[in-house]
Amino acid sequence: MRTAMARIALATAVSAFALPAFAETSVGLILPKSGTYAALGNDIQDGFVYALEEAGRTSEFKLVTEDTEAKPAVGLTKARKLVLQDEVDVMVGIVSSGVLGAIRDFVDGAKVPLIVANAGNDEATGKDCSPYITRVSFSNAQVNRPMGKWMYDQGVRKVYTLAPDYAAGHQMIDAFAEAFKAAGGEIVGGEYTPFGQTKDFGPYLTKARQANPDGIYVFYAGGEAISFVKQYGSFGISKEVPLYGTGFLTSPLYVKAEGDGAIGVKTSLHYVPTLQSTENKVFVAQFEKRYGRTPSEYSVQGYDAGRLLLGALAAGAKDRASIAANLPKVRYTGPRGPMEIDPSTNNVVQNIYVYETVKDGDALTQKVIGEIKSVRDEPNGCKL
Amino acid sequence: MSESGFWALQLLNALQYSMLLFLLSIGLTVIFGLLHFVNLAHGALYMMGAYIGVSVAAATGSYWAAFLLAPLAVTAIGAVLYFTLIERLRQAGPMNQVLVTFGLIFIFLDLVRIGWGDIALGLDVPQAMAGTARVLAVDYPVYRLFIIALGLLIMAALLFVLSRTQIGAMIRASVENAAMASAMGINVQRLFVCVFCVGCALAGLAGVVAAPVFSASTGMGISILIPTLIVVVIGGLGSLQGAIAGSLIVGFLETMGAVLFPQFAAILVYVLLAAILVIRPKGLIPARG
Amino acid sequence: MVMFQQTRTHTAVCLAILAALLLYAVMGGYFAREIVVEIAILAILAISLDIVAGYGGMVSLFHGAIMGAAAYGYGVLTVKFEMHPLPAAFLGVALAAIFGTLVGAIVANTAGIFYIMATLAFGQMAYTMVFQSRWLGGDDGLAGLPRFDFEAIGIDMNDPLAFALFAIVLVILVYLAAAGLLRSAFGRTLCGIHSNEARMRALGVSTWIPKMRALGTSSLLAGIAGILAAQHTQYISPELLHWTVSGEVLIVVILGGLGTLTGALVGAVAFVALKHGVGGYTDHWHIVVGIMLIAVVLAGGRGLFGQCHHLLRQRANRSANATGDGSKSHA
Repeated sequence: MRTAMARIALATAVSAFALPAFAETSVGLILPKSGTYAALGNDIQDGFVYALEEAGRTSEFKLVTEDTEAKPAVGLTKARKLVLQDEVDVMVGIVSSGVLGAIRDFVDGAKVPLIVANAGNDEATGKDCSPYITRVSFSNAQVNRPMGKWMYDQGVRKVYTLAPDYAAGHQMIDAFAEAFKAAGGEIVGGEYTPFGQTKDFGPYLTKARQANPDGIYVFYAGGEAISFVKQYGSFGISKEVPLYGTGFLTSPLYVKAEGDGAIGVKTSLHYVPTLQSTENKVFVAQFEKRYGRTPSEYSVQGYDAGRLLLGALAAGAKDRASIAANLPKVRYTGPRGPMEIDPSTNNVVQNIYVYETVKDGDALTQKVIGEIKSVRDEPNGCKL
Repeated sequence: MSESGFWALQLLNALQYSMLLFLLSIGLTVIFGLLHFVNLAHGALYMMGAYIGVSVAAATGSYWAAFLLAPLAVTAIGAVLYFTLIERLRQAGPMNQVLVTFGLIFIFLDLVRIGWGDIALGLDVPQAMAGTARVLAVDYPVYRLFIIALGLLIMAALLFVLSRTQIGAMIRASVENAAMASAMGINVQRLFVCVFCVGCALAGLAGVVAAPVFSASTGMGISILIPTLIVVVIGGLGSLQGAIAGSLIVGFLETMGAVLFPQFAAILVYVLLAAILVIRPKGLIPARG
Repeated sequence: MVMFQQTRTHTAVCLAILAALLLYAVMGGYFAREIVVEIAILAILAISLDIVAGYGGMVSLFHGAIMGAAAYGYGVLTVKFEMHPLPAAFLGVALAAIFGTLVGAIVANTAGIFYIMATLAFGQMAYTMVFQSRWLGGDDGLAGLPRFDFEAIGIDMNDPLAFALFAIVLVILVYLAAAGLLRSAFGRTLCGIHSNEARMRALGVSTWIPKMRALGTSSLLAGIAGILAAQHTQYISPELLHWTVSGEVLIVVILGGLGTLTGALVGAVAFVALKHGVGGYTDHWHIVVGIMLIAVVLAGGRGLFGQCHHLLRQRANRSANATGDGSKSHA
């Protein structure tokens, strides 16, 4: 009898230790899965899932995915569903800054941690910041500011700017222009082009040439980037006026479609797959093995969102409040380099790399030619 | 760059954009003019032309193969659509035509996503046209000159066919009064099929010609609808001269607007559309006077 | 064009839909309540469009912009000027009505596809102006819009169930208003103009004024949809005014049945249910919706409700003829 009771007691004690310290963490992936941004949403998701697999802890997570269609109203509906119906512990995603703007008040009010894995809207870690919103991707100003001083140091004195006429376009160019002028440069002119898909940049390229700058600095992404770079190339002006810009212009995701026009273009971004660090080489090799394609900056954003969450959980977080409190404290060295979150803005502090698109055999690849360490945003009205 | 050089470049830019718009809208106006069919799927066919062009060029390494085969492929698709759907719906009334062709846009959009993926794709200009040439004392991309030449060629060809050939006369008669034309012995049904196929071929051609300048993306079928409809409506539905006038006006307005009034560039074309419709509610050169 | 008649079929279907929405909101959980509000907004917008497009024959493509005008009017007044929600809502709706009527007046001489394109032009002008306006928030939008405060009568509008029920009540009111309008003498004039404008003018009826009234009323109702949409997400962005929103409403009306009023409700439910239902299984829901639209047209071209109504009426006529009851057999 006593041995039986002892055995039962022992079994109970052992099983108590064998139980996980917390129940399954449920994650709401809130990304565009249809429409123009679907490719980005898929990349972020793949990166995130890979982070969990790499740590061998996929069984501890329950993933619920919802399609935002990159529309603010739809995004809000899905966010409400994830929080109120699926009762997720944390949300990860958001590609479009419009969607972020729509759900910000809800996330803050419902006190649900959100890891932003793309949307770069400056205010989200500025005057609209929240203790529940942690951004692991980038802010629009952060990716552009370093190019101001870098280009000046290269001898560029006069620049003409171009960007699409919407909030992100303005934020990107404003950040660059401010830094470039502070370094001593001159913005000789600039235009904002109507925001849309089918765009003939001919008239704008001609205007840019007429202003006689030392370089053109632009922000375009996706289909517009492909159109712009191809048209820039077709006018044959790269010898007179070199092209610079934000790295989305020649993102590895679609630079192939841009052809020879992309060769020699120098841009800044927080990640390229050709970074030479050990962490990145391992990441790229493993990601290619797992998914059959090279990771893009979107994949690494998803991956780092996963690393951040894993870090917060490893520090003992187990519910929404503790996850939100622990996320900004995570630090590690990842494929992008040293990663940490600035507690005064909840935005990531990271290296920004300057790279040139070069030809490698038949393909186009990125050659890193500059590195600006630990770029940190000013609080800009954030009170955390 | 000299002042005259600047304006020469912008003139060429405007002309090139006009020709692109012409290629896009001529198919739509021809189909509406004769069949009285609101073919919103025109945008989807343009998209298919671009994507099929990308694939053919990738497979054969030749732009010209794509240039030839993409319009043919799109015509085939158009023919299939005509005999399965469009023919039945010719009498269905504009609202149902809108519904069906919108449905087709949705279907093609997802087919393209499934077949070619979500990322925008590029098509290279043929090697021979990759550089610039000296025109009007400036260096202008050869491929854009090709677009201008192609547009003018097709304009001339269509004007010739419509005004000087028998089939052209039959088409004009049928546009004027289909019942009367039929009573005079013209096989209007066969004419419809012909014209529809030509319209689709032009849409496919526009797609493969535009792809090297813009890119091939899943949203292109919808985003092209507005500029095309604007050109067609400004010019006057169903008339070739209207399409020519409309594309030149919109092309020059958008280009010069970008140069001179960039803050209003996005809105200019809509103001133009509204203004023209208020003054001439049937467009500038309507087909039926 | 058939005059508006609230037949038994109409009422039966309306009540069925409203009951279903009510049940779904009460029993379905949080997501269900979001869906119900989404359907309500679309239904109100579709009803407003059906008045001018289905009965007045003026198919317009800027109802998204009209709705957006109300939403932005409400948003600006409450967020920038801190006005109380109730008067702000009234002013927002008034703004929408004025905007719609003004545009309608300017383009009154166009017809058919030209009318569609002219309304689209104005809608896109409004969209572009809002998109480019820093003061209105540009494409970042305006956040922090309040909902109505019914605390005084014990209702908390921040509760999703209360808001969903409020949305359903609005649908009922809008439908009754539209039905009442179409059954009145004004409604008959409108239908007359749609069938044969020349004849109406020959009869000495001024066609311009009724058309403006119709558009004004339609814009007012669309404005109500705008306020509901603004309060639902408590955030507005320019995409509300984009022509694709107007296109979607048109599709919904045609899908349900143009010129039936009940079809607007049916179309809204069908479209939202289809999108979310299919979206739950695959990211490629566009194909399914596309096929559905084509199927609806091939089946008879009267829309879902229109087709059902037509079949029921045919059956009633046939059985009336069979029993030799002459009083019912005249269509």
